[in-house]
Amino acid sequence: MDFEPMEDFERDLRQAFERRPAPPGLKRKLMEKRRAKWPQRANRHFHFVLWQRLAASVALVAVLGGAAAWRNAEERHKGEEARRQVLTALRITGHALNQMNAQLAAHDRAAQE
Amino acid sequence: MAHDWQPDFEQLVDEYQSMVFSLAWRMTGDRGLAEEIAQDVFLELDKNLGKLESAAHACFWLRRVAMSRSADALRRRKVRGMDLWVEIDEGHGAKAEERTSPLGNRLEQLLSTLPEPHRAALVLRYQEDLTPEEIAATLASPLATVKSNLQRGLKLLRAKASSHLREYMRVKEQASGL
Repeated sequence: MDFEPMEDFERDLRQAFERRPAPPGLKRKLMEKRRAKWPQRANRHFHFVLWQRLAASVALVAVLGGAAAWRNAEERHKGEEARRQVLTALRITGHALNQMNAQLAAHDRAAQE
Repeated sequence: MAHDWQPDFEQLVDEYQSMVFSLAWRMTGDRGLAEEIAQDVFLELDKNLGKLESAAHACFWLRRVAMSRSADALRRRKVRGMDLWVEIDEGHGAKAEERTSPLGNRLEQLLSTLPEPHRAALVLRYQEDLTPEEIAATLASPLATVKSNLQRGLKLLRAKASSHLREYMRVKEQASGL
């Protein structure tokens, strides 16, 4: 005795194997379990944010410190340059005064003779 | 590769809870275990949401993990020597509106007697309407194996249904008369 054709049998299978509705409480239980896992996740997130902020602070301090040190070195360099220029000007002035003194002394000697 | 899809966990649960639960139930035959498996699968999904690229990818991922978890559960139960297929037969734990037709129940009972690889292939073929190629991808099995499992499973199931023809036809008539 044969059974119905294979196509009909496959159609019956499709009808019989339709998706069953999930139990009404499944989503609620699932969301509760998920929420129960949130503190761990939040804790991990908190530590991540903490380390992130700490790293950002260290980077900021390093950048600001570097900028301050660079500015300090630049100002010192400018000060030294100005001091050198002043000393050069003083040397030139001293040299000019010496020349003038020598000329005056020579003039005085010529006048006495 | 960058993807624009923004997964919404609750929406994915709403959309696929029936699919995951049904796969787990038909594979294990245990409603309570199927519910546990479904919860585990979705919690695993929650952890892996960032890796999913599209809704289709999420669906594929859920099917694959549901089948894999169900197979693991079957193996664990087998080791403990428990008989799983008791609940679909009795409709245990299911409310009246959730239960399928008598014909559906009869075919599910017969499905439960098939070897696990045949059952997996048939459930994905006739519940999820997947092609053999899609089933092979879902189960990570060679296509030839899947085709063979489908053919053998279908023949076996049909032979079992034929041997229960009188009862089957009676049930079918009852179902069509409803």
